[in-house]
Amino acid sequence: MKTILLLEDLPEIRAWMKDLVLRVFPDGQISESARVHDALELVSAIKFDLALIDLGLPDGSGVAVVEKLRDTQSECQSVVVTIHDDDDHLFPALQAGAFGYILKEQAREMIAEQLQRMAQGEPPLSPSIARRVIAYFAEQNKPQANALPHVSLTERESEVLLRVAKGYTLPEIGVQLGLSRHTIADYVKQIYRKLNVSSRAEAALEAQRLGLFRR
Amino acid sequence: MAIAAALPPRLKLPTAQRLARGVLVALLMLLFALAAGAATDVSVHAFSDALVADDDGQARFPVGAADRVVSLPDDWVQSRPQRRDPAWYRLRFDAAGARERGGPLGLYIDRACANVEVQLNGQRLHAAGRMSDPISAGCERPLLVLLPTALLEERGNTLDLRLAGYALEQVASRQRAAGLSAPLIGPYAELHAMHERAWRLKVLLPQVASAALLLMGLVVLLMGWWRRRETHLAYFGALAIGWAFVTARLWWHDIGLSIYHSELLLVACVPVVALTAVQFLLHYALKRSRPIEVALIAQCAVVPASLLLAGPSRVNMIATSWYMLLVLQVLAAMGLHLWSTWHERRHAFWPMAALLAVVALMLGVELAAQQRLLDPFWRALPNVVMPLAFLGLGLWLVHQYGRALFDAEDLRASLETRVRDATAVMERSFAQMAELRVEQVTQQERKRIAADLHDDLGAKLLTIVHTSESERISTLAREALEEMRLSVRGLTGKPVKLIDALGDWRAEVVGRLSQTGVEGEWQAPTEDMPQTLSARAYVQTTRILREAVNNIIKHSGASHCSIRCTIDAGDFQLKIQDNGKGIPLELDGRLDRGHGMSSMKHRAKQLQGQCLVESGPGYGTVIRLTIPLEKHTHTA
Repeated sequence: MKTILLLEDLPEIRAWMKDLVLRVFPDGQISESARVHDALELVSAIKFDLALIDLGLPDGSGVAVVEKLRDTQSECQSVVVTIHDDDDHLFPALQAGAFGYILKEQAREMIAEQLQRMAQGEPPLSPSIARRVIAYFAEQNKPQANALPHVSLTERESEVLLRVAKGYTLPEIGVQLGLSRHTIADYVKQIYRKLNVSSRAEAALEAQRLGLFRR
Repeated sequence: MAIAAALPPRLKLPTAQRLARGVLVALLMLLFALAAGAATDVSVHAFSDALVADDDGQARFPVGAADRVVSLPDDWVQSRPQRRDPAWYRLRFDAAGARERGGPLGLYIDRACANVEVQLNGQRLHAAGRMSDPISAGCERPLLVLLPTALLEERGNTLDLRLAGYALEQVASRQRAAGLSAPLIGPYAELHAMHERAWRLKVLLPQVASAALLLMGLVVLLMGWWRRRETHLAYFGALAIGWAFVTARLWWHDIGLSIYHSELLLVACVPVVALTAVQFLLHYALKRSRPIEVALIAQCAVVPASLLLAGPSRVNMIATSWYMLLVLQVLAAMGLHLWSTWHERRHAFWPMAALLAVVALMLGVELAAQQRLLDPFWRALPNVVMPLAFLGLGLWLVHQYGRALFDAEDLRASLETRVRDATAVMERSFAQMAELRVEQVTQQERKRIAADLHDDLGAKLLTIVHTSESERISTLAREALEEMRLSVRGLTGKPVKLIDALGDWRAEVVGRLSQTGVEGEWQAPTEDMPQTLSARAYVQTTRILREAVNNIIKHSGASHCSIRCTIDAGDFQLKIQDNGKGIPLELDGRLDRGHGMSSMKHRAKQLQGQCLVESGPGYGTVIRLTIPLEKHTHTA
């Protein structure tokens, strides 16, 4: 049995998403919420295995819920479900610890398939997101960059990112590098994790610096 | 100087310097001219002794009381100390040949202190002013008397002089103690020239000097008044005025006060002059001292008080002591001033040192003259040189003042330039900020519109996508949503690198084709390239590509599709070829509208490019899209 958080403000969409999730995970136990505030309370009370989180909500951004889950329930998979397909919206959510994203307007079958894949540990990664990740780590690893706990990508991870950025699909990359589909998926998961760890360290350092200034 | 002060600073400096130099040269030449005319003629007779008698109250030489002969010049300090009554002098001379020589004879007395009456052969020839206290003071006034030829005998003429004066102890300065210089008898014309020279030197010059000092003092005082910070100017102005007042005694012969009171008045002025001098020197060297100021002011009260206490018969002793002390104070202040200037303002040292040396020397001469240590010519020197030194000092101060003004003006001008520059920079950056702000606001507004579209229109379309029973409506709504998003991106987007766009397109096309079982083949440059696409060009090209892939997946029934991207001569070219059944012709011979060909062509045209479609039943379809890159490289 899976415990699932569903955070979505539009009732119709929440209804069909619930329907869809139950189709993929028939024994799932779903907690619904329409606001960030309510979702945060649910997170404090219930332990979730999966969270489907909308970004633009009436009382804030779903990123706050992603962060809280990351901090308090590290086993839970946060998936951003959004109408925004651009990396300006998705990247902050991924930095905050989201494991993947689903674009709402896709056909139900596609969404169901993506959910299943993510449940099996295969997160999606678009070329534009890959480029943002590459740029982010390049910035972090500059010599004059702030004294962060050093998080950097391995050569293989960088290789995978570069190929995704050029438009190759994950199966294609698997063939090119002579690796299995699962290994490539592991790399992608690892990239997401490192992005989150590095972002959190950066945020902590920033907070510390602000604290120093305030003193 | 007053005129120079009113001129613009740029003109003033050289003008003031030239003026100062001119004035100094003229004064020195005048001094030499006056001093050089002292040669005497052989025909002039100088008396070397005289018969002396004390005055008996009668208006005639008391023949019976004449008991002794004194040599001339006679100084009462030596010949009749402490006597205050007038004395008679009898001189005898022959006037043989005077008539033959033509011109009349004259009597010239260089110094008859304080006043003298002249009788020739019993006839009174000259009497001016009072002969008793307060005696009209003529100590510094040379006397010339015409001896009428009618009164002269060939031989044995008698010249009686009645001299009234003060004993040394009554007066503060030895110059005013009674005495008679050797009278001269000779041709009137010659004596007249001599008298004229002496008059100029002893009366006219001090008068001119007093006037000049007074004027300069007032000007400098005014300058000090306008610039309160420069207190030394005010002190110097007061000093010059004070000196002019004290030296007025040289030519002001009838004050109308008794000797005791006039001396008291004069001596009381001297510590005030000393105060201004010391304060000027200290303030000019920026060494102000409150205790010294208080002591100097107290001294101004103590000096006259001491004279009052001592009484009329000890004036000379008290005054001389005070003079010594005051001169020492001024000398000490000069030393301090020069020491400070040497250490702090070396450039101002030498002019000040030279001027102060002259003043110090003259003070020394004046003190020596009091003790009769020098001959008469040197005694007169301070009267001439001191005003000159003061004028020099005044000019130097005006010069410094002008220079400070000049510097201030310069500084103000450069400050003005800097302020103007800074203002220009501020205006520029303000304009830039305003521009940036407009851009920011525009960007914010675009984002707000985008967010609104997503939240409102997007949510509704999404609801249709997922709630519609009809697959066709769902698809239409989904496509409308995509269109909306692409439009929004076109609205807010930044230019997209061509290499990134190729990556996005590849992922989408290959992903979709593989999901639907069509074999896709993608050929495109993969090395980095500098070209960019405007957000609009990116969006339109994405739509065209998406439409083409839709057609292939939905209608062509193709099993293979190849996409080739090339950059050629500034054009971006896209060739999409499939092996499907092709697009059927409509009745009118055009390609099927339902396949979106017209919208693809329209979009290409919007980008100033073209979209060509070749198709025939059984031959598959080839779509060639050409977009000029340059025009879309930098436009947003």
